[in-house]
Amino acid sequence: MSAVRTLLATVVAFVAVEQLLFNTGLYAKIVNPDSTTGFLELRLWNEHKRPVHDRNQVLAIGDSRMGFFPRYADQIKSEVGYTFASIATAGTTPRCWYYMLRDADPSARRYAAILIPVYDYDDEETAENIADRETDMHFLVARLQWSDLIAFSQSYDSPSLKLRAAIGVAFKGSIYKLDLQDLLTHRRQRLEYADLSRRESFNWYYDYVGTRDNVAGVKIDWAKKTFELPSRLAGEKEIFQAVLFPYTPATTRQERYLKTWFGKICEHYRGSGTKLIFFRLPRGAYVRPNPPRYNPHSSVRELARQPDVILDGEHYFDFLEKPELFLDPVHLNAPGCAEFSRALARRVRELLGPPHAL
Amino acid sequence: MLFNTVAFLIFLLVVLALFYLSPRSWRKYILLAASYYFYMSWNPKFIPLLLTLTAIDYTAAIWIQRSESRHRKKLFLVIALAGNLGFLGFFKYYNFLGDNFALLLGRPAHSFALAIILPLGISFHTFQSMSYIIDVYRDEQKPIRNPFDYALFIAFFPQLVAGPIVRAREFFADFYAWRPPFSDEQLHGVGLFVLGLTKKMAFADQLAQIADAYFSNLAVHPGAISAWKGVGAFALQIFFDFSGYSDMAIGMALLLGFHFPINFRRPYLAFSITDFWHRWHISLSRWLRDYLYIPLGGNRHGTLMTYRNLMLTMLLGGLWHGASWNFAIWGGYHGALLAIERMAGRKMFETRPPLWLYPLRAALTVGLVCVGWVFFRAANFAQSRYIIGQLFSFAHSPNPIVIPQWLIWLVFGSLIVAIAKEKWNLASAPAWAYVPALAGLLLVIELFGVTDKQIPFIYFQF
Repeated sequence: MSAVRTLLATVVAFVAVEQLLFNTGLYAKIVNPDSTTGFLELRLWNEHKRPVHDRNQVLAIGDSRMGFFPRYADQIKSEVGYTFASIATAGTTPRCWYYMLRDADPSARRYAAILIPVYDYDDEETAENIADRETDMHFLVARLQWSDLIAFSQSYDSPSLKLRAAIGVAFKGSIYKLDLQDLLTHRRQRLEYADLSRRESFNWYYDYVGTRDNVAGVKIDWAKKTFELPSRLAGEKEIFQAVLFPYTPATTRQERYLKTWFGKICEHYRGSGTKLIFFRLPRGAYVRPNPPRYNPHSSVRELARQPDVILDGEHYFDFLEKPELFLDPVHLNAPGCAEFSRALARRVRELLGPPHAL
Repeated sequence: MLFNTVAFLIFLLVVLALFYLSPRSWRKYILLAASYYFYMSWNPKFIPLLLTLTAIDYTAAIWIQRSESRHRKKLFLVIALAGNLGFLGFFKYYNFLGDNFALLLGRPAHSFALAIILPLGISFHTFQSMSYIIDVYRDEQKPIRNPFDYALFIAFFPQLVAGPIVRAREFFADFYAWRPPFSDEQLHGVGLFVLGLTKKMAFADQLAQIADAYFSNLAVHPGAISAWKGVGAFALQIFFDFSGYSDMAIGMALLLGFHFPINFRRPYLAFSITDFWHRWHISLSRWLRDYLYIPLGGNRHGTLMTYRNLMLTMLLGGLWHGASWNFAIWGGYHGALLAIERMAGRKMFETRPPLWLYPLRAALTVGLVCVGWVFFRAANFAQSRYIIGQLFSFAHSPNPIVIPQWLIWLVFGSLIVAIAKEKWNLASAPAWAYVPALAGLLLVIELFGVTDKQIPFIYFQF
């Protein structure tokens, strides 16, 4: 055998073993349920196995700020008529949401509507370049396929992350490696926990109600950019500083990013009859007096021109922006989530009208 | 440009492509240009230093040969050696000597210190040049007439930074009778490169994190168990790191048609310290033997002189690694152990013990070597003393260093391979055997290699 042929055979053998281990869905079943990958996998697994009897299903997506719990919507099911589910996962981004929806609903015919939250309607810049969020690779590793290699890796801005993402999509072991090392250290516990999570986590998520802590009592001087925290929140100083007085670079990168990924979601559902409902989340416990500059060409405003895309009233959920309903500057607490979930379910009924008959 | 980076991999592929696609007469210039580019990618400011040293030794060698009298030959040799050692001494030892001089004068330690950056690979290419010039003086090597040929010998990128220290006659034997590597050599070259990469990324860099956790937080991990784990992790780290580098260097050279001698031969399977030094950093041991120990008299002038020569050689060998008393102690420690073994009887320590005794002897040797590594790795003498105390204390380890189970299995697997290599020559395996072996190594790199940070090779600092 010549050297070149031997080396080619080596590459083929390596790729074959690697793909068998990590690209057949085998490994995703035993990934740590508490890891980023495991978290997302469980959300999708639960949604896949949830019995669906009609198309009057409404699916919520989002990140940790999406305080929508289906259990509260189900409590008023007789009033709204729709069945609600959520695959919102803390730490995910619109890029993740596209791939999650693609896998949750490959035929784009499972849901009557998809609920997509946004922080604002103007694509306000963020200090972090969300396109370069490395954790997206870890969330999505089990969902990505060879056909996603170029689109996914090129969606990163940094050249080193583009390369890393491309390697990660092609050779998933490079992303799973810390998880695998942990598996090798705690083999039995891991397998038991992964199995338990698959059996029970639907109820864990469904029954979760959140915490009742709140951030009432904060005094803010918006002009001087200072604030005073009550003693119980003394440890939260940095979070308040970052959220109340954020640094916002003047670029259009957030707008480009959101147009790309919300655009892909719209493309996936185009012509399917599924409504995409974009709405603004309650902005926070203490809302900045200087809102982002009005952007007539923002992602959601442009997408709202497409059929089956609904952009809800910007101020619809403003009534929830009370410190008593937030556990930190931007995340709803248990009462906040309950109120928000019911309000959103009712709003969906208003926007969609009565459900279709079976 | 570290060997274990994507940038270097691209560089290597480009060099190999240019080398083999260009006419034969261009190839040495391509290698020379690539070597200088590689050197300058670290710090272009030092290229004049490399060129100056190259020019000194190139010229001195020719003058030595041209000189008729022994006296003049010696004069040129001394000038060349003074030039080499002068540069090495200044860059590597000035601050060390200055600090000690200041202490002698009762002044603050850094009174005479200068902000000196150690040029890349200076210890290695200086020793390589010195061996050339001494060999020419001894009439064991003809001077190289073509300055580009000589410059390539000094700057050849696979071994410029950390060896192996190659002799001129070895290098030029391949250079002047160059032929493309045979198919099995190509495979072996790629195999060595991948093996070296695996040793570095999956073993050394993983072990580095454990060793660093111990050595940088000694107070957090008291007790003998933590001490042995921390020191053991470093012992394995330095082996995998340096032998990994050497494997990559030898593999790359082989792909370019050069056959370098091995630098490591499973040193932690040594049955004595004498045997250890026949297996560890072989090219340096060989250099020290031929250019220091034997010229000092070797074992030709009686027992006491032999011990003195052993001690001196190892002391200087220790100091070659770095300018600190800790390295001198490390060298002296090994010199003393070698002298003790010689005192106890050469036969006992140079011949293989029976199989039943072998594991015990090997374990004892590894233990002794580990104690030596404490001086090599610790920041100063006080820290070394503390760690040695911990190694032999019976103190409880309330917060022991944790070594992941998978890493223990990985190291155990490498031990099995090492034992197999000790018995069988795996390098002469049939071509098909490379397929599972290399695919396995690639999988190990992918799943266990450290990629989120770049840990430089330990010997780059020397």
